[in-house]
Amino acid sequence: MATSEVKIDEQRIDPATGEYRVITPGQTFRGVTEKITRLVLTPHTPLGWFAIFGIAGAGATMLMVAVVWLFLKGVGIWAISQPVAWGFAIINFVWWIGIGHAGTLISAILLLFKQGWRNSINRFAEAMTIFAVVCAGLFPLLHVGRPWLGYWLLPLPLTMDVWPQFRSPLMWDCFAVSTYATISVVFWYLGMIPDLATMRDRSKTRLSQYVYGMLAMGWRGSVRHWARYETASLLLAGLATPLVLSVHTVISFDFAVAVLPGWHTTIFPPYFVAGAIYSGFAMVLSLAIPLRKFYHLEHLVTLRHIDNCGKVMLATGFIVAYGYGMEAFMAWYSADHWEAFTFWNRAFGPMGWSYWVLITCNLAIPLTTLWSRKLRRNMLFMFILSIIVNTGMWFERFVIIVTSLSRDFLPSSWGTYRATKWDYMTYFGTVGLFVFLFLLFVRFLPMIPMSEVRTMLPGAKIKPKVAAEAGD
Amino acid sequence: MNPAANNAEDPMGNAVKNEKDMATTSGTPMTLAQVRKDLKGTRGKKFWRSLDELADTPEFRAAVEKEFPTAAQEWVDPVSRRSFLKVMGASLALAGLAGCTKQPEEKIYPYVKAPEDLVLGEPMYFATAHPFPTGAVPLLVKSSEFRPIKIDGNPEHAYNKGGSDPLSQGTLLAMYDPDRSQHVRYRGENRSWGEFVEAFRGKVASTKDGTGIYFLSATITSPTLARQWKAVQAQYPKAKLVQYEPALAGTWAEQGINVQFDTGAADILVSLDADFISGAAYPGFHRLVRDYANRRKHPEKGMNRLYAVESSTTTTGMKAEHRLLLRASEIPAFTAELAKAVGVTGVNPPAYDWTGEQKAYLAALVKDLKANPGKSVLMPGLYQDRSVYDLAMAINALLGNIGKTAFVSRDTVNPIPSDQLAGIKSLVADLKAGKVDWLVMLDSNPIYTAPADLDFPTAFNKAKVAVHLGSHLDETGQIAHWHINSAHYLESWSDCRAYDGTVSIVQPMIAPLYGGKSAHDVLQSLLNEPMLSAYETVRATWLPVIKKNEKVPGDVEMGWRKVLHDGWIEGTAFDKTAKATVETAFHGTVPAPASRDALEIIFRPEPHVYDGRWANVGWLQEIPRPVTNLSWDNGALMPGALITRLNVVEEDIVEMSVGGGKVKAPVVAMPGHPQNSVTVYLGYGREFAGRVGSGMGFNAYLIRNTWAPFYATGSIGKVPGKWGVAITKSHYQDHRGKEFGQQGNGDNSLEGDEALGPRGIIRYATMEEFKSNPDFAHEGVRYDTPSKDTTLFPNWDYSKQATENAWAMSIDMNSCVGCNACIASCYAENNIAVVGKQQARIGRIMQWIRIDTYFEGDLAAPRAHMQPMLCQQCEDAPCELVCPVGATLHTPEGLNMMVYNRCVGTRFCSNNCPYKVRRFNFLLYSDYDTPSLKLMRNPDVTVRSRGVMEKCSYCVQRIQEAKIKADKENRPIRDGEIVTACQQACPADAIVFGNKNDKTSRVSKLRENQRNYQVIADQNTRPRTTYMAEVLNLNPELEETPEEFSPAKG
Repeated sequence: MATSEVKIDEQRIDPATGEYRVITPGQTFRGVTEKITRLVLTPHTPLGWFAIFGIAGAGATMLMVAVVWLFLKGVGIWAISQPVAWGFAIINFVWWIGIGHAGTLISAILLLFKQGWRNSINRFAEAMTIFAVVCAGLFPLLHVGRPWLGYWLLPLPLTMDVWPQFRSPLMWDCFAVSTYATISVVFWYLGMIPDLATMRDRSKTRLSQYVYGMLAMGWRGSVRHWARYETASLLLAGLATPLVLSVHTVISFDFAVAVLPGWHTTIFPPYFVAGAIYSGFAMVLSLAIPLRKFYHLEHLVTLRHIDNCGKVMLATGFIVAYGYGMEAFMAWYSADHWEAFTFWNRAFGPMGWSYWVLITCNLAIPLTTLWSRKLRRNMLFMFILSIIVNTGMWFERFVIIVTSLSRDFLPSSWGTYRATKWDYMTYFGTVGLFVFLFLLFVRFLPMIPMSEVRTMLPGAKIKPKVAAEAGD
Repeated sequence: MNPAANNAEDPMGNAVKNEKDMATTSGTPMTLAQVRKDLKGTRGKKFWRSLDELADTPEFRAAVEKEFPTAAQEWVDPVSRRSFLKVMGASLALAGLAGCTKQPEEKIYPYVKAPEDLVLGEPMYFATAHPFPTGAVPLLVKSSEFRPIKIDGNPEHAYNKGGSDPLSQGTLLAMYDPDRSQHVRYRGENRSWGEFVEAFRGKVASTKDGTGIYFLSATITSPTLARQWKAVQAQYPKAKLVQYEPALAGTWAEQGINVQFDTGAADILVSLDADFISGAAYPGFHRLVRDYANRRKHPEKGMNRLYAVESSTTTTGMKAEHRLLLRASEIPAFTAELAKAVGVTGVNPPAYDWTGEQKAYLAALVKDLKANPGKSVLMPGLYQDRSVYDLAMAINALLGNIGKTAFVSRDTVNPIPSDQLAGIKSLVADLKAGKVDWLVMLDSNPIYTAPADLDFPTAFNKAKVAVHLGSHLDETGQIAHWHINSAHYLESWSDCRAYDGTVSIVQPMIAPLYGGKSAHDVLQSLLNEPMLSAYETVRATWLPVIKKNEKVPGDVEMGWRKVLHDGWIEGTAFDKTAKATVETAFHGTVPAPASRDALEIIFRPEPHVYDGRWANVGWLQEIPRPVTNLSWDNGALMPGALITRLNVVEEDIVEMSVGGGKVKAPVVAMPGHPQNSVTVYLGYGREFAGRVGSGMGFNAYLIRNTWAPFYATGSIGKVPGKWGVAITKSHYQDHRGKEFGQQGNGDNSLEGDEALGPRGIIRYATMEEFKSNPDFAHEGVRYDTPSKDTTLFPNWDYSKQATENAWAMSIDMNSCVGCNACIASCYAENNIAVVGKQQARIGRIMQWIRIDTYFEGDLAAPRAHMQPMLCQQCEDAPCELVCPVGATLHTPEGLNMMVYNRCVGTRFCSNNCPYKVRRFNFLLYSDYDTPSLKLMRNPDVTVRSRGVMEKCSYCVQRIQEAKIKADKENRPIRDGEIVTACQQACPADAIVFGNKNDKTSRVSKLRENQRNYQVIADQNTRPRTTYMAEVLNLNPELEETPEEFSPAKG
């Protein structure tokens, strides 16, 4: 609304550099460092932290109970059956992996595109990626019938000389997810090294000096360190960038390669990637909005960030909408009965309600409201919207997996799906685990990259003229 | 070790000391600490004496029984106690039952594949027969290391030619049922057989003439048992025998009528509520179905036409070209109208306002019958008024069918025919009058099965001593004074007659697992040689016959061997040429139909648990019933209109009452059920069936009375509550046809419309359509397999040059009658686990082959199409591509294999299977603990653990066995040498398996037939299992019936 009316806001342009401001004016190097390290090095943990940590810990414990029972009894404690042999586990897997994508996009692609605003949020977005991948990575192992043999999916040179079946998309998943997890962890850790050194230097207690010292790996901040650090970051960003596209593409192959109507479609890779980024940015918002409020980080994570996330969601949301539209179009245009029936069944079959939940949450609400700058800058609205979008994205996977499976080729074998308490416990358990890990992260590690935020300060900018002179 | 086998040597002992023994049942349980305390300070000789004294305390006996239940019987007998102590160590070493099998002591002779001696791992085959009240089923039993592991029909027997039925298949599990009773008991105390014999013989002898001695038996099917009974009767003329077969009492089959139909010789078949296709409940099922199906295999050479007039939805009606729905009480009147129209004299059909449709049906039927004299057959229903039988036979006689398609003889399968309902009524009267001293119940469970109006349980208490011979401590066994654990027919010698009259000797396959006794032993105990074994008795019956029989070569012993080897006695079939006179006139009266407003309740034996005897057989409980696909329950099966009228939905509870009885049942919709009537199946609601069957379903015997044993007028009403039932297919009632794209009719089933219409899963044509377009099954390219050129990759070469064998299967939808024999056979052959009601309800049933039933047209009067669905063994199998560990692979011969060891259980293969034939062990379904079930398993097939996918393998173990044999003999595998389990069981011979690379094989020829088609071929799966499209031989005059045809057709 009224976006065209917005005047050039003096406050939003940094007079020193002529660039859009990301963080509020008046920040200093010392102030930023002070602010971020204090959150971690303070001996006083906020009570609110304990409260949420307790709830999340209970969720993680619930997950443990559910998993122990699962290992004792088998996947039959879940609702999966014939014909719906995949249920919550795979839905959750795809959902969590999708959420992770925003972190990688922010840290890698935006780095390559020199989007300076990413600097304030990339650290916790990357942490989000890692914890999301942790939650996602649990599911493939949990969902197999014989989890103790899950390692057979890995290409291990065992004495039996039996290799995995390389034509299976599940096999590709193994590579995709493990590569993704590895790169994400390395990238995250590498980016944190200068900050860890800062933490080491500012620690007052012996233990934290020792731990942060170990983690900082001898970082001294020399120019050579910085030069190598920058190079490594760029290289890793280069490695991670294709992963943003490839990981969810491979995940989408789990479906697209199958012959099942509703799965067997070439639109899945781009549509899955867009959906992943869509849900990932929603999750970034779900985390950023409470964090900046809670830890008073409004100066570092500004409305500009929230606004930008909203814009990315708007863009990816439309790609997703295009995907839904194409599915419907192809159902009609292909003149293929299997496709037509599946589409009809998704929308109007016994589980049609889930399709309309998805349309409402993913298209109807966000794609009409995100146009408004005012709403994009309304924290409460954006927080609620981020939850709505992630609900919608969960239902998208539900519709794809459960509804397609419930009625496929042979009408005699149509079935239904009704989740059990163990399904819910496992799902909400991973949410608990995610929050649990994330709270540990914000308590013990610098959640905003000091070194990178400092580069955004006016003092860090080399005047264009000076830069031109210094240029070789 | 089987200590109970020593029983024969037991001394008779003293008369039973009831009071003392009753008194010893109380007391504290014994602990080791207490034994130590009791023995403390005792040494040497004294110690041993104390131990002996200790051993006599009831606590110690209780402890022993807990520890060694099979041996506890020995313990009460002072002599064999010592032998028990001797063998106890050995028993422990053998750790349970698994080490205890042995061959019966008498000689039994192996069938064709006879190794010189037992070769471990090499199965042997023995002929025997399953005694069934409607006629024996000749069997060939596969025995592995003297354990029977698979039951099939005797392929050389003229009656069933290898076909079997789910019930006979299920008897294998019935034998290994871990809940079988294991002891002789007296008032809950374990006793020895010898003690029973002494008490029984003493009592009967004391009566001199048998006064007050009553026998209540299931229908006696054994000629030897009948002979024994006659001997008992000669000795004790006042002893009485009452036979009561709950599922058959009151039917013409129990009343000394023997009629054989020849469905192969008839062009026009008319079923008057005769459900001869559903299962063994109808006499001659195997033979009738085989002959019926044979006439449908070559539609180009002409086909038979089946008219079914029926009062409940059965597979007979579903297979019929023309089905007429009538309420049960209308059928006698309709038959009378038919008889009158055909020309039977003396018929006065009750006045009734038949609808236009019914009149048209009658007219067309009469015309068709008159046009085919001597080439039609009318089959009367078992569960109908006697007049239906008389009228049907009169029509048969008038049309000249007697001697051509129907044969009547005076001999019967049941050697002592009687009016069983009158029998049990008189028994109850005698019980109430206090005339019954000893009531001996042989394989009978009257407390559960007796008609409700007799109030049998009250009368039962008047019997001074009640003796129960039964396989389980069932409802009757629980309250009878004496209980004798009976031997299964696979454990004991007996004899019986098949439908055609041929005598088969029932040879035991294994020594009684729990030392059970048979009815032969009970009757023999009253005769001169009380301990004469059943073997000797049976031999005594038949050796003279064999001796006289010139068709049996050699001396008597050789003859006996041949009889056992073949499985039947040559020349004992009923004489078909001796025509009994059948009158063309009718003399009885025809009951008038009940008012259309009255609610009719129809009683039928359950298709799988029959009268309740197999309630504890997991296979039979679990395998979904024909038409309804209901498992683990019976229900109030009712038409949709009644459901609407009662304002209920499925799984609501209704209460039905007939006479004074009331029973609550879940509502289950039955497509094509006559209006305003409800079918209930007997055999459920067992209280003491065992761990599997107890508490399942509801007991319909409670509303079944002697005055209306087959159908009754009653009332029905909704009561609060829900009763979840396990229906294993997609639920047609939820999905009406107009849902998708407004195609089809809102009264149709969506599944049916989809399968018959755009999906092309079921394809059929009428005879006219077939004649004008024999290639009807391939109309429209959209169903066809895409060309092989569409792939960039080289196609795998399955040609004759590349592989000698390319396995394929052809299933004739025209022959398949949906009887479930294939499913039961598959369960037994492939060690398929039973999952239980809750798991079946949520779609986790493990069956590898299922019968998909699609309803075409209005659900109020649909036509059903039954399609056996099993792994299609696709050449381009979608499942194989997606398995990440390569646990499902393809063999060069075209089999899609599961490597259970390799499977990690991702279930992607199942998701990607278009036919949804893969089954997953979501939990640990296989029973790894019960020892008796271990004996039953097929040693050639892995027992699957939790987390493993499984599916049909085309019985790869049988293929391998044949390949090894052919290799040894250096020859190719012969066509027909490999028979899959489903094929073997099929009574209709609808399934053909073989090598498609052999152009002369049966399966190759069938694949070249025009009717051959593949299901979902457009997905490029290239299935090896193909189907033969149905052809219906409709009567042109009835063809336009609107609701029988939907626009959707393959």
